[in-house]
Amino acid sequence: MFHWLEKNPFFFAVGVFLVIAYAGIVTILPDFMESARPVTGTKPYTVLELAGRHVYIKDSCNACHSQLIRPFKSETDRYGMYSLSGEYAYDRPFLWGSKRTGPDLMRVGNYRTTDWHEYHMLDPISVVPGSIMPAYKHMFKNNADIETAYAEALTVKKVFNVPYDQADMPQLGTYDESKKAVMEQAAAIVADMKSTEVKEAFKRGEIKEIVALIAYLNSLK
Amino acid sequence: MQAKDALNYDYSVAKCFTYAAILFGIVGMLIGVVIAYQMAFPELNYLAGEYGTYSRLRPLHTSGVIFGFLLSGIFATWYYVGQRVLKVSMAESPFLMIVGKLHFWLYMILMTIAVVNLFMGIGTSKEYAELEWPLDILVVVVWVLWGFSIFGLVGIRREKTLYISMWYYIATFLGVAMLYLFNNMEVPTYFVAGMGKWYHSVSMYAGSNDAMVQWWYGHNAVAFVFTVPIIAMIYYFLPKESGQPVFSYKLSLLSFWGLMFVYLWAGGHHLIYSTVPDWVQTMGSIFSIVLILPSWGSAINMLLTMKGQWGQLKENPLVKFMVFASTFYMLSTLEGPIQSIKSVNALAHFTDWIPGHVHDGTLGWVGFMTMAALYHMAPRMYKRELYSKKLMESQFWIQTTGIVMYFSSMWIAGITQGMMWRATDQFGNLAYSFIDTVTVLIPYYALRATGGLLYLIGFFMFTYNMYKTMTASKAIESEPQNASPMAA
Amino acid sequence: MEMETIRELQAYGYIFATIFLSVIMYGYLYHLYKAEKKGTRNYEQYANIALNDNIDDAPIESRTPSNKEKE
Repeated sequence: MFHWLEKNPFFFAVGVFLVIAYAGIVTILPDFMESARPVTGTKPYTVLELAGRHVYIKDSCNACHSQLIRPFKSETDRYGMYSLSGEYAYDRPFLWGSKRTGPDLMRVGNYRTTDWHEYHMLDPISVVPGSIMPAYKHMFKNNADIETAYAEALTVKKVFNVPYDQADMPQLGTYDESKKAVMEQAAAIVADMKSTEVKEAFKRGEIKEIVALIAYLNSLK
Repeated sequence: MQAKDALNYDYSVAKCFTYAAILFGIVGMLIGVVIAYQMAFPELNYLAGEYGTYSRLRPLHTSGVIFGFLLSGIFATWYYVGQRVLKVSMAESPFLMIVGKLHFWLYMILMTIAVVNLFMGIGTSKEYAELEWPLDILVVVVWVLWGFSIFGLVGIRREKTLYISMWYYIATFLGVAMLYLFNNMEVPTYFVAGMGKWYHSVSMYAGSNDAMVQWWYGHNAVAFVFTVPIIAMIYYFLPKESGQPVFSYKLSLLSFWGLMFVYLWAGGHHLIYSTVPDWVQTMGSIFSIVLILPSWGSAINMLLTMKGQWGQLKENPLVKFMVFASTFYMLSTLEGPIQSIKSVNALAHFTDWIPGHVHDGTLGWVGFMTMAALYHMAPRMYKRELYSKKLMESQFWIQTTGIVMYFSSMWIAGITQGMMWRATDQFGNLAYSFIDTVTVLIPYYALRATGGLLYLIGFFMFTYNMYKTMTASKAIESEPQNASPMAA
Repeated sequence: MEMETIRELQAYGYIFATIFLSVIMYGYLYHLYKAEKKGTRNYEQYANIALNDNIDDAPIESRTPSNKEKE
């Protein structure tokens, strides 16, 4: 039997495939239902926050910042309550990261404010002396992509039954309705910001990447 | 099949992929050195505006060296080794020649678009699987073409039994295919919502599930790109270059199945103390330890192949590269399991020890083996002797120094960082603010970057040596049986 | 299906597969040595596939007998 396998490349390949696939089937599949259940109080992201999440991904913030607080005292003291599986139920993709060159951001919304983020993105050393993080000035120039964010929200609502448009949950509605909600949420953030560039652009109806990103970071609690 | 005087192995595709490996090696490693220096000297982030920040470049570095340099190296050696161990020439099948060429050109197109995309920040954020869905489809096409090439060649082979390297190449093909497909399951949003960017997609998995799938992929991408095909290479090139048959062919077969069975279970060690189920974490940890056995099985087999022939290390730099590679394989396959032990992981996870571990595997094992393989192939493909042995010797020592600087500085940095994160004062309060744990590491970051720079310099020496071998070296009459001919 | 039933099935599936594959592994080891002792197979000769790999070297084992005659 063994020798036969060695001489029949096709069945050999099938054998290898079964051996390597088995682990995945056992470890991954059975937990899908259970770990997908959200913790009470966890809400899907609003469209503006999603747009900010896209900025976070576009600039690979997750290359240096984790979003996963491990259950140790040293971590809960530093970052707050340790992470629960259900808190990530609406994270597509997950953004746990694999390296903490900078601090964890899982609950950054609890202890940083809009203007802190604004200074920090313009010039990290101005708020954190010694920081090695680069400045992200281009976020003050580029516009956030609200349409794609809305498209994503609508997609997860339709395909994965993410509870948008339900009681106590973010409302999506049509694109125009959603755009209005986005402008409202953005207005509050822009009001807290100093940058005249961002403020003037907002008057023209443009939402800069930085606004969306701050909305996202503030939502991390 | 008849006129055997005229029949020769056809290396045209192998040559193309050799050039690609060198090109992407330079690009990927250069970016690596730049981002390493950015960590020590943050001003370097502003060399190219939005496109030059650490965070944009980091996925380019990882994708560049994994899917550019290494994958090209794997394909190059496949189009070389495959023909030889199956004793069949690609020239015998016009179909396979076309498949091979198409494979190469589609791969180049894919890589070019991928590089542009990553510079622009278009991606899904999943590590080592950043590409968006249109490119994922192209990846699948390229991969299927490679499959045609493998199984097509196997189909017309003369040698009935598949040599052990073939097993590993086939496993690479199957493993990566499975992992890539499942990890990149995503829904293009444009087709559901009818608006937004057409290439944007959203992952089919959410939160902890996504993390589990990602690290099942991430860990095993390491298995099937950094380990399995490199073992395929060393099982061919070390015996061939040294003229020694594999120490124990039986052991090589056994380690193969051992590796296939054990590797896939170990992905959970990336998620220790995270929110995935406890048993997944424990299993990942246990299987990582078990993984030492098949890994060392292959590595020891390689070292024992050189039994009684250690003199070759002195005479032949290629043997030196390969023996060093298998030694580093042993080191990193011991280090990895140690980091998977829960209490060690609590300290090591998220620190610089992890990139340190990755790089002593990739620089020492993967990089050295791939360069040695390409060196070995050059005299046979270009019918010229290797240009300079001296250059090769100095390359070896410069790169070795680089590797040692790299991993030793990252070990110290990682452990320092981990200890400082958890350090408390006499009242139980955290002793250091986060920024303290960053600034203290800057000397180590500088040291690491310099180690990387040395490795890059070595790679340029490799490139120069290869270029001179292709163009200016002395021609050889017949193909060398074992040791590659080289000018002093 | 209930989560607990799934868990149970999973545990059994895992245990049996591990035992099954371990048995196969050791069976394979046994087979390797036995085949060599009985003289039915010499596995070590396959190591020469890498060493004698010129296109006109004779294959260790030809795929078809007719092929072998031609070479």
